[in-house]
Amino acid sequence: MIKIKDTPAWKKINMISLEVKLPDIPGSLIELIKPISENGGNIHGIIHFHDKKIKNLIPVSVNFELSEDIKEISLQNIKNALKEKNIDIENIILGVEKRTLTIILTGHVFDTDVLDTIKRLASKSIAVSELQAKFTALEEVSNVKLKIEFPESMTKNELFEELRKICKEKNLFLITS
Amino acid sequence: MKNMDVKVCLIGKGNVGTSFLKLLSKKEEFIKQKFDLRFTVNSIFESDGALINKNGLNLKEVLDLDNNFRKSQYWNHNFKARDLLSQLDIDVCIEATSTNPKTGEPGLTHIIEALKNGIDVISSNKGPFYLEYEKIKNLAKENKCIVKFEATVSSCVPILAVKENLIGNEILSFKAILNGTCNFILSRMTAEGVSFSLALKEAQELGYAEADPTLDIDGFDAAGKLVILANELLGWAKNIKDVEIKGISEITPHAIELAKSDGLVIKHLAIAENNKLLVEPRLIDKYSALNISGTLNVIELHSKYAGPIVLMGRGAGGFEAASAILNDLIDIARKRGYTR
Repeated sequence: MIKIKDTPAWKKINMISLEVKLPDIPGSLIELIKPISENGGNIHGIIHFHDKKIKNLIPVSVNFELSEDIKEISLQNIKNALKEKNIDIENIILGVEKRTLTIILTGHVFDTDVLDTIKRLASKSIAVSELQAKFTALEEVSNVKLKIEFPESMTKNELFEELRKICKEKNLFLITS
Repeated sequence: MKNMDVKVCLIGKGNVGTSFLKLLSKKEEFIKQKFDLRFTVNSIFESDGALINKNGLNLKEVLDLDNNFRKSQYWNHNFKARDLLSQLDIDVCIEATSTNPKTGEPGLTHIIEALKNGIDVISSNKGPFYLEYEKIKNLAKENKCIVKFEATVSSCVPILAVKENLIGNEILSFKAILNGTCNFILSRMTAEGVSFSLALKEAQELGYAEADPTLDIDGFDAAGKLVILANELLGWAKNIKDVEIKGISEITPHAIELAKSDGLVIKHLAIAENNKLLVEPRLIDKYSALNISGTLNVIELHSKYAGPIVLMGRGAGGFEAASAILNDLIDIARKRGYTR
């Protein structure tokens, strides 16, 4: 079946911080993270505040990301699931929105200093969060997939301009989403 | 009500032109029954002469002669369409010659001559439209003529006609796959992991790519169609020089593998958005409606009030283009009030 997707390979991400109090017993953390994971949440970190433990309840903060298209429904599902498990939510903080994009570079990506490429993108607030490469032989062209994050304030055209500028200079073939 | 006998001139008796004659011949009775209408082809021009019969050529006879049509009693050697359009009694001129991508000739001259003489025009020849769209449209307006060119983009897919059917909506932008050759090559590379050169060779062996495939694989063919679509659907006034074009020859099997590992595919897209025209390889979700295989074409319109609307179908072929031409012909007949 064909699904019509507006902006494939192009995601808007929301960082979410969820604060709860969990009983200090084995398995309670699993009860917290399971509904987050089941509803599309990508967990970045969990912090236990053992020093603030009161009546055997430990404050826990879990940070996770949700893509924009499922944010509302997923958050509601997570809230409902936690309520069923008698886990009270103390606070939900919606963080800064960021967008992610996958690109592929073909050419002498490493010979033209891939670290320099990453640093130059970083100087424009474009972060490379993942890199995957495929080679045939040392003298042959390489193919590199980059997952990049860029701020909400940056337009798609501004992002592409930065990417195109570097690729033109380094003679790299750019495929964007 | 005007005369129900519509006089037609065909310029170009290649694959598309001949397919049109065959289709017209097959549909003649249906058109007569349905619309009380008869299309009389009174002239067929080739580069070295023309078949002309003021009372109408017998299509069966012409088709039976096949490539020996120059032996017909109606053949006139060295007669040129550009010289005779003003002299023949023609209601509609069908331009189906092949495109010179740099000049749009000889089609451009034929279209201009027809319009200057008050003849409605149908074209399957895209060159004149991506080079001189505004000039042709203005000339048609000045001479109160109808110009239709559905077959120039994605052949039988009624993408230009969709504008009239979306009159209550608004098309904001679109993304499309407009070149079957490129899509076939990328589909083979994705499905089989073969190199670009091998996939191209296969396309040539199957007749999907020309011996010189440059216009297709470098994106020029898709760019021309993109210009026509953008001008017609979005009301822009662009020509081929306004398109940023990137071909597919540098795409490697490794790049395709990397895309696959993320649930993505690489497709050669023609994009019209934010007042910009682009033809370039793009990564798209494998579940996207644009992820079609083989030589198919697809257009995803982004409408203001109804979100995405997708049309898909064969983008090339004699009968595919012929069906678009016949649709245009019937539409002109309707607009002119020739039909019942």
